[in-house]
Amino acid sequence: MLRLRRAPAPGPGPGGAGGAAAAAAAMGLLNFTQEPVPEAVSGDMHNLNQLSAQQFSALTEVLFRFLMEPKEVERFLTQLSDFATMNKISLGPLKNIVKSILLVPNGALKRNLSSEQVRADFIALGLSEEKASYFAEQWKVNSPTLTRLAVGQTLMINQLIDMEWKFGVTAGSSELEKVGSIFLQLKLVIKKGSQMENVYIELTLPQFYSFLHEMERVKTSLESFS
Amino acid sequence: MAALRQGDFAALQSLLKAPSKDAVRQLCRQCFSSPPAGLGPLAQRACLDLTAGPEEAEQLVSALHSLTRHVVYHGLTRAEDILSLFPENFHQNLKNLLTKIILENISAWRNEAQASQISLPRLVDMDWRVDIKTSSDSISRMAVPTCLLQLKIQEDVALCGNSPVVSALTVELSKETLDTMLEGLGRIRDQLSAVANK
Repeated sequence: MLRLRRAPAPGPGPGGAGGAAAAAAAMGLLNFTQEPVPEAVSGDMHNLNQLSAQQFSALTEVLFRFLMEPKEVERFLTQLSDFATMNKISLGPLKNIVKSILLVPNGALKRNLSSEQVRADFIALGLSEEKASYFAEQWKVNSPTLTRLAVGQTLMINQLIDMEWKFGVTAGSSELEKVGSIFLQLKLVIKKGSQMENVYIELTLPQFYSFLHEMERVKTSLESFS
Repeated sequence: MAALRQGDFAALQSLLKAPSKDAVRQLCRQCFSSPPAGLGPLAQRACLDLTAGPEEAEQLVSALHSLTRHVVYHGLTRAEDILSLFPENFHQNLKNLLTKIILENISAWRNEAQASQISLPRLVDMDWRVDIKTSSDSISRMAVPTCLLQLKIQEDVALCGNSPVVSALTVELSKETLDTMLEGLGRIRDQLSAVANK
């Protein structure tokens, strides 16, 4: 089994790239973050460079699949474990490498980075040009979907999840033998924090038409801003 | 809703002691609008206005309440229908006065009955605003329009009596949710027109 180990302390030769990464981070030259990058990252990039193009491509695929569906943690860990076994790499170090790689797309998503910026960051961290370009290409392809996902995760207050309705005629009541008026009942399902709440409202017919009219105005307004 | 009883008409004759036609008119209105539980205090005031004993006042007020509610319940709108309620030997002028007063007020009373019907909480007002989200913790630059809708909802009138509880509920809708909602509302409108055209 090929054991991927942390690279030796920065110095001339392969460690030089690690030194450059640390320096770049220290000088705030990275696009995806302004905070200092953990020291381990340069070593992880060095180890990544050891992978063949095919292996890197397979690993990238696993990573992007996870980014697209961040809830599928179990699946992600299984796929990583399979990758580790197939390529004769130990799982522990692989997980650390993956943690380091993921720093870039996560920061890039927050900051709406372009693929060139992502590529530049990976190179600054010590990844080979070939691999950095490949990752940046994948980023370009996937970023619209990832952006939409991030927007979808944005805070919403009392989000309206669902609406059910029924309307009917009030035939009579204890005060009026014959009524014959139309009523409309709405059930709104609202997400309050992590719980769902049901709200029941009744509207008269004029109120319903007024409500409909207002909602159409809202739609026009929303569309003009899209 | 109390049913009309024979003794009620006898009690109504106490109105002959009323100081004016307007006093009768006002008493009719008050008796209709009051719930059965509120008739007590009303009777006490009638005592003073009509110089009647407490028992007589109570019977009068109760009778007026039953009469007015009966007319509204059955939706009587013609003078003949109302006049025919009274027994043969009832005071002619008083009968005509009461019928006139009832006819004057019947549609307002009907609306009042409908408004105080039991129902689910009612929508009383709605306001909206459109915001553009420009930034969040998950993404630092974006331009996502969103709608905030505030619904003012009044709890069941029958439960609240004179102090209705109005609560405000603010709800956020994304554009997709709004589109779906409008689709639903459109379907309601189509079905309503289909029913109206039948």
